[in-house]
Amino acid sequence: MLEIADLGVRFGGLQALDGVSVGVREGEIVGIVGPNGAGKTTLFNAISGMVRPQRGVVRFGGRDLSRLREYERARLGIGRTFQIPQPMHELTVAQNVTVAQRFGAGRIDAAHAEEVLRATGLLAKRDADAARELSLSELKALEVAKALAMRPKLLLLDEVLAGLETTAKRTFARMLAEIHQRLSLALVVIEHDIEAISALCPRVVVLDFGKVIADGTPAEVFNHPAVIASYMGARAHA
Amino acid sequence: MRPDRRLVVAATCVALYVAVPVLCASNLYLMSMIVAALTIGGIALAWALLGNLGGLVSFGHAAFFGVGSYASALLVMKAGWPIAAALPAAGMVAVLSAVLVLPALRLRGAYFALAVLAYAHIFRIVTTEWTSLTNGAKGLSNIPRFPLIAGFDFASKTGAYLIVLTLVLAFALIYARIRSSHYGLALRAMHESEAATRAVGVNSTLLKAMMLFVSAFMTGVMGAFNAHYINFLEPDYAFSGLWTMLPIVAAIFGGYRTITGPIVGAVVVYLADQLVFKEVMPVGHQIILGALLGLMILRAPDGLLPLLTFRRRTGTILRHA
Repeated sequence: MLEIADLGVRFGGLQALDGVSVGVREGEIVGIVGPNGAGKTTLFNAISGMVRPQRGVVRFGGRDLSRLREYERARLGIGRTFQIPQPMHELTVAQNVTVAQRFGAGRIDAAHAEEVLRATGLLAKRDADAARELSLSELKALEVAKALAMRPKLLLLDEVLAGLETTAKRTFARMLAEIHQRLSLALVVIEHDIEAISALCPRVVVLDFGKVIADGTPAEVFNHPAVIASYMGARAHA
Repeated sequence: MRPDRRLVVAATCVALYVAVPVLCASNLYLMSMIVAALTIGGIALAWALLGNLGGLVSFGHAAFFGVGSYASALLVMKAGWPIAAALPAAGMVAVLSAVLVLPALRLRGAYFALAVLAYAHIFRIVTTEWTSLTNGAKGLSNIPRFPLIAGFDFASKTGAYLIVLTLVLAFALIYARIRSSHYGLALRAMHESEAATRAVGVNSTLLKAMMLFVSAFMTGVMGAFNAHYINFLEPDYAFSGLWTMLPIVAAIFGGYRTITGPIVGAVVVYLADQLVFKEVMPVGHQIILGALLGLMILRAPDGLLPLLTFRRRTGTILRHA
């Protein structure tokens, strides 16, 4: 479904992504991990169109996305969330979902909107001011709800569990697993919490300095010498 | 719309269409001031629409006003169009001129504002130099007035008042419709995070361009109205920076985030300046206006209407306490 081949992104003197090649199959859950600055969010930005790679190609459903802009990729079925939740200000929770439906999916569907709000635990907050009345975990749920409202085939989740306390993190991870099961869409999840990502993702890709250093099951990658060295190095430098 | 609100709107329309002409028609000076105030109000509304929905601050609305005035005058004088057709056509010509501004949409904040200001100067220079079409710096005189229809002279002060009032109310209605539509929701959402709205499929550049076109259309039509109302045009007048500055002052004074604020602001600011401050201080009366605007920005940055609404609500709360 998603094919990334030899992707290279450079910001001035910094090579943020260096020859990254990863594939994601329909309905698959893939975790992306790596130390800070490894290029995880840049990879999401390159897939969603926020960043233009200098080399390589991103294909979605066999289609080369190089010439497509962000909103066109969203309409094709690539939903994403942001590390720092970005609710649409001045709008209610329901209006946030409506905008995503209208522009992302091309039509308003009240039943689907309700289903999305229920799945993300926001039904009771549908009339709440999105920017002012939601807790952090609700804001993160709204990020997911907006993306789901577009009826995506692929959902890119950028550190949706970060900042949540342990119980909220477990509840959120369970919610994501249920959404995945019910909608059978592909999920790509960036996460720092090794325990959470191991529980949620049968496959994990590890990035370091913009390169893929491991790709496999959680057990395989977290015992991979390069991954251990990378994490130990990151801790040693911290 | 709630029934009580509908009643208020209906009563206001009756007052504006009936009471104002009946009470003020004999005072031609006052009527001409009201017409000028509403003309500025129409531009202020268009400027506020671009700022509020499109998130773009323009310092160059005089460009669209000037293009609209010349387009309508030339269509009527040289192509023989009826004024009723020339007015919307002038709005469309202003939209075409806005197409030239599209590259500036990449810019943000003050950079966009200054780019549009530069466009306004370019349009003024082109109008001055294109003498074969515009008669250059000599300008156009004897621009046809509004016609006599069913015995009512629309070229009179009262007739012009009714036309400009209808235009401003129609624009306010269009503004309200856009704001309450899904496009309006997306536009409001775009202000805080354009990236987040693009990520849910919103073509933010297209929406901003659409708001620029709507704003240019409205301003162009106001320019066209003004051309047939004053019957004379010259480049320095049609593209004067005052057609940008006064609407901005009016919109900020009245409350640029509301729909009625820019219109009320224009009427209050212009009439206060011309009828009161000018009497008190015949020379340099704009100083009072400037001081008032400064005070307003410091004490009530959201403008006059939100301030009055807040006071009324606070009063109600206090009375019930």
